[in-house]
Amino acid sequence: MAAKTKKTMGAKKEKRRFWLTIPQKLVRRPIIWEIGHKYPIVTNIGQASVTPEMGIISLEMEGRREDIRKVIAWLEGLTIKVEPVEIGTIEG
Amino acid sequence: MGFIMDKKNRFFSGLVCRECGRKYPPAAIHVCEYDFGPLEVAYDYGRIAKAVSREKLAARPESMWRFRELLPVAGDPTVGAQVGYTPLVKCNRLARALGLKTLYVKNDTVNYPTLSFKDRVVSVALSRAREMGFHVVACASTGNLANSVAANAAAAGLKSYVLIPADLEAGKVLGSLIFGTNVVAITGAYDQVNRLCSEIANKYGWGFVNVNLRPYYAEGSKSMGFEIVEQLGWEYPDNVVVPVASGSLLTKIHKSFQELVKVGLMKEPRAPAKIHGAQATGCSPISTAFKEGKDFYRPVQHPKTIAKSLAIGTPADGYYAIQVVNQTKGECEDASDEEIIEGIRLLASTEGIFSETAGGVTVACAKKLVQSGKIGKHESVVLCITGHGLKTQEAVAGKCGQPRIIGPKLGEFEKIYEEDFGKS
Repeated sequence: MAAKTKKTMGAKKEKRRFWLTIPQKLVRRPIIWEIGHKYPIVTNIGQASVTPEMGIISLEMEGRREDIRKVIAWLEGLTIKVEPVEIGTIEG
Repeated sequence: MGFIMDKKNRFFSGLVCRECGRKYPPAAIHVCEYDFGPLEVAYDYGRIAKAVSREKLAARPESMWRFRELLPVAGDPTVGAQVGYTPLVKCNRLARALGLKTLYVKNDTVNYPTLSFKDRVVSVALSRAREMGFHVVACASTGNLANSVAANAAAAGLKSYVLIPADLEAGKVLGSLIFGTNVVAITGAYDQVNRLCSEIANKYGWGFVNVNLRPYYAEGSKSMGFEIVEQLGWEYPDNVVVPVASGSLLTKIHKSFQELVKVGLMKEPRAPAKIHGAQATGCSPISTAFKEGKDFYRPVQHPKTIAKSLAIGTPADGYYAIQVVNQTKGECEDASDEEIIEGIRLLASTEGIFSETAGGVTVACAKKLVQSGKIGKHESVVLCITGHGLKTQEAVAGKCGQPRIIGPKLGEFEKIYEEDFGKS
């Protein structure tokens, strides 16, 4: 029983890595800080390139799958493009 | 095959991050742990130089594997032994139509076994997958890649899964199903499907050809460049026009030309071959960025083109493709759907080569580059034609005229004859 509880409570954290493409209108907004304050997610930046025109950030998110999904939905609602670290997994 | 080589004697040492140069073992990994940069295969060019010569290569079977020291397989290739070495066709009639003196088509419409250049990358990926002990291989694709993984896995006795968007045309689905693969159609927007494929690829420990096997898979594209140079009599062309989807093929053709120098098969050219990128106007992130003088592209959210095999709005190697075009003093061009169809018809009617839509893009863009003077009329040009037209018949259906129907009477045929040749 204890093992089952441990499985449901603790084993659901995972790490996933994404590229975020941030549009011009949001480049000054502290998006990563907001993620950490709105959701129980640990963020870790791999690379970042932010110009006045756009921001491109590679971001690792660690947390429960459900919370990572919520972050993705929130980011997409802001019109930030969220791609897997492979960028394109679907080819011609 | 005659290329006996054991794992201790392989010509590549491992993987290296393209961004920061960190080294990794030759495993099924594809992204740097530190900066998420793409991993590439690291070769021992000194050893390869001692092992290869033009004479040795010439004695080998005519397949892409005659350049096997420069492909990332530890032992003998076990999948796709007959892939590659497609014809380099001298195209005098098309050259005249485009206003060129010397034009060749690298004709991968007849690549074995699934009539597209994807057989090159898949044969490398699956040979490497077997070496690493994978029993299940997979990919996410909208067409050619799916067909190639399904066919090559079937021939190799590997279990395969092909993930496709749920709205894919029935003909393309059949082109994979026939090989007995497991086709899984995924509903949802492109970005959702893309992220799910990444999750699946990283969860089940499969050999996912364009995800965790990508460093090996991508290297297969180099064989097209090696073959072009050998088939030109060990000469570089002045120009190569390459269709661009993810940008991988373009960067790997450039890499192949550089590697031939590194291993002593070619001398450093006075001027490098100009490598030009060809895209469809309805999905042209790289062409647009290049024309705007930028080194990064804006993702295309909703591609709209008949060239579906090139309709990748966020090309994974886009940044590197733009770099290569700039380094080689090449250009990027794009073509509308009408121009793509005209390109397909022009190639077919002048050279008897029926290309899929990507080939129409390549021909149409080459035509524009010649007309604008960006490709000189006296320079040699190679067009990379990457897939057969039978795969995208719907693009030209109803646009090539109609048969003239007659009754079974000689008199009716004579009317047609008179229309075409006048009265005899």
